[in-house]
Amino acid sequence: MKQDPDGGEIAYRVADRLKTAAPWEIYAERSERYEVHFNGTATELIHGPIALAGFGVRIFRPRNGKTSTGFQASTDLSDAGIRAALEDAERLAQYTEFPAKRVGLPAQGPASTGGPKVVDPELWKAPLDAVEGYLSALFAAFHGRRHAVPSFGSVRATLTQTSIANSAGLRTTYPQTTVEFEVAVKAFGGPEGPAPGEYWVTESGRRLDKKALPGAVERWCKYAADVRRATPPPTGALAVILPAGVLSGILPTTLGYKLSGPARLRKISVPLGQKVAPEKVTIRDDGCYDWSFASAPCDDEGSPQRLRTLVSEGSVRELVYDSLYGAAFDVPTTANAVRSAFGGTLAWKRFTRAPAPAASTLVVAPGDGGTDLELVETAKDGIWVQQLGWANPDPISGAFGGEIRIGYRIRAGKLAEPIRGGIVGGLVLGPTGAPSLLAGIESVGGTLELSESLAAPSILVRPLSVAGGPA
Amino acid sequence: MSGLHSHEGELEKALARLGGHVPFADLMAERHLGESTSLDSKATSVSAEPRMQGAILRAWEGRYWIEAATSDFDPRSLSAAVERLVQAASRSPTHNPPPGQAATTRGEWSTQPRRPMSALGPEGMVARARTALGWAKSVEGIGEAQIRIQWEEEERLYLNTAGARCSQTTNRTHFTAVPVAIEGGRAEFDFLNSGGIGGEEILDALTEENLTATARRSKELLSAKAPPAGSMSVILDPSVAGLFAHESFGHGTEADQFLRDRSYLKPLLGAQVGPDFLSIADDGALPGEWGSIYCDDEGHPGQKTTLVEKGRFVGALHDSETAAAYRVKPTGNTRRSDFLSRAFVRMTNTYVEPGDRTLEELVAEVKQGVLLERGTSGIEDPLGGQMQLKVKMGHRIENGQIKELVSSMALSGRVLDFMRAIRAVGRRADFSIQPGYCGKGHSDYLPVGSGGVYLLSDAVVGPA
Repeated sequence: MKQDPDGGEIAYRVADRLKTAAPWEIYAERSERYEVHFNGTATELIHGPIALAGFGVRIFRPRNGKTSTGFQASTDLSDAGIRAALEDAERLAQYTEFPAKRVGLPAQGPASTGGPKVVDPELWKAPLDAVEGYLSALFAAFHGRRHAVPSFGSVRATLTQTSIANSAGLRTTYPQTTVEFEVAVKAFGGPEGPAPGEYWVTESGRRLDKKALPGAVERWCKYAADVRRATPPPTGALAVILPAGVLSGILPTTLGYKLSGPARLRKISVPLGQKVAPEKVTIRDDGCYDWSFASAPCDDEGSPQRLRTLVSEGSVRELVYDSLYGAAFDVPTTANAVRSAFGGTLAWKRFTRAPAPAASTLVVAPGDGGTDLELVETAKDGIWVQQLGWANPDPISGAFGGEIRIGYRIRAGKLAEPIRGGIVGGLVLGPTGAPSLLAGIESVGGTLELSESLAAPSILVRPLSVAGGPA
Repeated sequence: MSGLHSHEGELEKALARLGGHVPFADLMAERHLGESTSLDSKATSVSAEPRMQGAILRAWEGRYWIEAATSDFDPRSLSAAVERLVQAASRSPTHNPPPGQAATTRGEWSTQPRRPMSALGPEGMVARARTALGWAKSVEGIGEAQIRIQWEEEERLYLNTAGARCSQTTNRTHFTAVPVAIEGGRAEFDFLNSGGIGGEEILDALTEENLTATARRSKELLSAKAPPAGSMSVILDPSVAGLFAHESFGHGTEADQFLRDRSYLKPLLGAQVGPDFLSIADDGALPGEWGSIYCDDEGHPGQKTTLVEKGRFVGALHDSETAAAYRVKPTGNTRRSDFLSRAFVRMTNTYVEPGDRTLEELVAEVKQGVLLERGTSGIEDPLGGQMQLKVKMGHRIENGQIKELVSSMALSGRVLDFMRAIRAVGRRADFSIQPGYCGKGHSDYLPVGSGGVYLLSDAVVGPA
């Protein structure tokens, strides 16, 4: 990414010109975004560079033993623009109220070296070349395949220099890259003539990993081909294996809320010490996990990331807080301030949002279940869910569920015919003794896989509700 | 921030410079205002739309589209964006014009809310939300409730080198009230929401009667049984019927997927796909509805497009490019999430047209089944033709009678099987459109409406 022509980091420049009482914080981003959309292997659109620079200012004002906060974001970096954003924040603060007496902001940012890997150096150096190179490698991996093609897709790469400053003296900045990748793999042809099948890949990460493409394309083509002959799963309470790619659509949203300060404030968090899973289950929050979409040297308030154990041997050990919610309970921030939208991690435009507590990278500790094939063997009879339509978990009730887009029947400890359609669902975690995904974990695999903001091995749950064809 | 009109001269100059180097170019500039409040019994927050404005320039370089955007209207920034596009276009070996005919629409439209939200102000929004919170918490067993009220004024200016100029200012207002019942470590909720183009009058649906009924339902959900699992008769309420229309013949008829050969519906255009009492439409010109637009982001007016007429698949949603490929007119469905996002073929308000049956008549036809209520989400399967719809609750149906409340569930099935199994469509008196946000894949969210009437068919359902 090019140097900022105006020099210096945006948050520092805004902070130097901000004339207001403490406490306050500035979160700023300078981003460039490049998107290439393709139709088959032909370019459909090159979108970018899209340049965006902006900041969010948040102020905290004591009022009647509580705290009022005001937040405004702006892309106007002029003196007048900064003044206008601050005036908005002060005006809005008059109407807000939060049950914290005094909010302490982090004074110390992360160390300048040794943080998690969140920058793809090739992408940072020559973004469009890197994206086009990745697509060339993708199309090369399809070359020579007679019955599978990419029908549509896109790579959206964003380069961001984030900077944070606050009234406690914090000044920190770090670069990051994000990559959102989508490809629809279509399988077709053959003498039997069933309708084409599609495996729709959507991934979010930090880098363009060309080396992984040949193996990935091989798998995607197999799934697309298997869609063509898949049938619905049986109905019933079955043993279900969920790999990291499925769990990443379920656990971060639900656990990230149920084990957070906001849930505790509303009295719907899981109490510390409560058993939610068998002893073999340990879940950590690790914002320093390399290449995760939700990792960074610091959280979105500038607090250095660290490793925390949320669920230890099946019991809830710790909740996550930012500075504001920590102050409500008189506990320090756990470096879990996240600026998000639609309940998900944002690839960019984080400066437009005020932070709230959420999980960073959740890590399910590997267990003794062995390889995926060994998990299948343990399951004996059940299903493997490779992809759900959309689990869309509800953080308040804890319910989740979605349509099986592709999976496999497990028979006699082996993967058997492909399945598709029908619904897998239930509660992620429920009251003590109630059936749930976490409570039903029978075995935890031994190999971690990173999928967006979750690193997890495959897990075997027995039972989960499956609705499909006849039992 | 000043209005877009004050920057129009610079924007026109930038477009003219770009147009001198490429076969066709257009531009969309955007500016937002707005505020929201979100409160519960513990905290009150008020926030404003970010002070962001900007423009995206698009050019046809001879083979495909290229785009660049800037988040200010400074002449230097606009020049830099133009220069990047000119450089990129100069590398193209051809200068063919883009497919399709460019819009030449010229017009200026502006919402006139009866009671502008800007006049209510943050204090008024907080007061209304606090009153609603009191109603929700007055119901025994409601441990918490969250009330959210938001409004925005969006100004968009579209210009192209064919002479189109579309200026539109749209005010949208929305509220959601979520009473949460809490007991023994369980939390459950129902929700009340409404949204549309307009002002404070949209909030008139946030009444004590409506909200206390919602709160009582939240409490009932704590003891609701799990829904039945498996294949059965299903009745969709109007919100769920809207999700069905959206995920099936909405996404399925976005004609960019036809060009990509990625729609199971493509070979069925003109075919009978459902009963002759079923019609589905997308209508961007429905007055006051959440997904309505005056014109799209290619300058084509928002309009009604019939997708399924009396069971026959008759139409699709088009931008200029897909319309040219299918030799039809663009349908006013080209939309960008914002000035930072690309344009796609998108829905506006998609719905099942009313029939003439009452809910009671539909229920009477069901021996064993479930009524699905309060649609919350859905997802399409453009090539495979499956769909997933999720709901917050439902009621079991047995021998033509509505039985007990059941908790959240999902519906799964092949769209064409579901269509063929439709046995009845509800009456106009039950018609409604719900506000929502739709992504293209998992990105590019924008406001859309979806709705319809009660609808009876068969599908697989299960807890979710």
